[in-house]
Amino acid sequence: MTSSTLSRPDTARGPRDRQQRNAPTELRRPRPQFGRHLLLLVLALFTLFPVLLVISTTLKTPEDVRVNPFGFFSTISLQNIVDAWTVGRFSDYLLNSILLTVPSTALVIIFSTMAGYTFARLPFRGRTAMFYLVVLGLLVPFFTYMIPLYFQLRSMGLLDTLAGAVLLLTSTGLSFGTFFMRAFFSDLPMELEQAARVDGASELRIFLSVMLPLARSGIGALTVFTFLGNWNNFLIPLLYLPGGDFRPLTSGLYMFTGGRSLDIGPLAAGTLITILPVIVLFIVLQRQVTQGFLSGAVKG
Amino acid sequence: MTTAALPAATAATPLKRRRGSGGPTSTSPAVTRRAQTRLGLLLVAPVMIMTVVFFLFPLGNALYYSVVDFNGINPNPEFVGLANFQEMFLDPEVWHALGNNFIWIIVGTAAPLIIGLLVSVLLWTTRTGSPIYRVIFFLPYVLPGVAIGIVWGWIYDPVSGWLNQALTAIGLGDLTRGWLGDPNIALYAVLATAVWASTGFVIVILLSALRNVDIELVDSAKIDGANPAQRLWYVILPQIMPVFLMVLTLTLVGGFSVFDIIFIMTGGGPAGATNTIGTYAYSQAFELSRIGYGTTLALLITVLSVPFAVFLNRLQRRLSLDGTGA
Repeated sequence: MTSSTLSRPDTARGPRDRQQRNAPTELRRPRPQFGRHLLLLVLALFTLFPVLLVISTTLKTPEDVRVNPFGFFSTISLQNIVDAWTVGRFSDYLLNSILLTVPSTALVIIFSTMAGYTFARLPFRGRTAMFYLVVLGLLVPFFTYMIPLYFQLRSMGLLDTLAGAVLLLTSTGLSFGTFFMRAFFSDLPMELEQAARVDGASELRIFLSVMLPLARSGIGALTVFTFLGNWNNFLIPLLYLPGGDFRPLTSGLYMFTGGRSLDIGPLAAGTLITILPVIVLFIVLQRQVTQGFLSGAVKG
Repeated sequence: MTTAALPAATAATPLKRRRGSGGPTSTSPAVTRRAQTRLGLLLVAPVMIMTVVFFLFPLGNALYYSVVDFNGINPNPEFVGLANFQEMFLDPEVWHALGNNFIWIIVGTAAPLIIGLLVSVLLWTTRTGSPIYRVIFFLPYVLPGVAIGIVWGWIYDPVSGWLNQALTAIGLGDLTRGWLGDPNIALYAVLATAVWASTGFVIVILLSALRNVDIELVDSAKIDGANPAQRLWYVILPQIMPVFLMVLTLTLVGGFSVFDIIFIMTGGGPAGATNTIGTYAYSQAFELSRIGYGTTLALLITVLSVPFAVFLNRLQRRLSLDGTGA
């Protein structure tokens, strides 16, 4: 993804997308844009540099890292990845990340869709007050209540359990999820729903068979960035899984640096294991990710 | 720091505007209304239960902890009234941390917005390659803060770090230093990382807002003799103002509750030089077991940031409804 795409912007002459058609007319005239491209290229390199650094250090041999921490790899070695995977326990961390992220993301999607639909389309007394209570969670930073939450989980017997961390990851995602899905359902057309009602469909059936299929793209976008948010979450596993048995990649990586040893090689490899799933997901779904952020944030 | 910061600005979208457009109105038959109420209560139940148990209850407890002297062990902590608040106002470290918060908010908001605006306009007016740049610039925003903090900590390393080696290589060896170990520099070094991580998000959002900008206006301003800076300030910026304010709100509110990246890179050190209220509250609560005091500090952030978010939201919404943009 890196070196091949980096060299492309200067030469690419692909079909114009919407945005280029929209560009100011003065710039449609051929005119030297070398300076602009150079500037953008430098900025792009600066943005990618830390990622490239991680990749190149991971691929070095351990001796190469020690002798020559500054340079790029001379021979490719997978030793660092093997070390991180086995000695560094990153295989366990990866498994834990999956065990935490998949159920919590699924729960956020299911619960937010249900509540978002209600807040958009099923009026009843008290609905507005409930909605504001849920959305209050968007305004209050997590660490305002993270300390009491620690003792609450302890007394509930959920501290240092997978279930506890999954529930917390879920609950912190619900405010935004509900808010997002409500906005999405509000924008769907009324006619189908009314037609179904005239045909005698029950309210539950309207939700499941008429509205849910229409909401697929909204659910897809929400899934992607709920997944990203839960995968990247740092504080919840760090605070509420102190024992270390269920440590996911983020807090595992943080703990790995605790020793402050000179093991830059395995550290880079661990970092790569942590960010690789995110990068792959992002590149595959980049349109959904950015569009999702836009529709969630701008339209509201 | 990523998704947590995002929703804050969007929170206060009016319900009223939607009323009547979504869902049946009061003209629906009573049978329908009853069925809707029943289903509605059923569907919101999980979210309401989770909200009460894992948000409202601990939030209420936070208020309680702020008026007791709780060490995390004692089952019956002593009621101390407003002593925690009094200590907070007299604690010089709080004022120092709060000052750092404000530096963080101002620089950490202004820099991504200015750089992001310039780069997004540059991308908008450049013919090719923008989809690729968009992906590259957005990438840091989806990376976990831990990874970002670790890699930048390593770039800043005083001995083998890339930054010092690069400075030496280009003959600026005098500038080398322990970036995260120097109390005068550390905060800005961490801030630079945060700017690196968040500017791409600004670029992508503004770029999409620029798609709706009226090109005729930009062109006619050019014919009227407006220079590029004037065109940006008087013609382009007003048209994307609602989105610009939305991004401003997001970065601003995120700046109040900054935690991850400082915690990971310096832990608030050296000697408290990079403490913000967030890291200070954490160390008081979890390292010194001063739960009551730590919670009081955390409440301060909410009290400070919520009015900002609400104000900017209203402004943004009014501009949007005026039809000037999205």
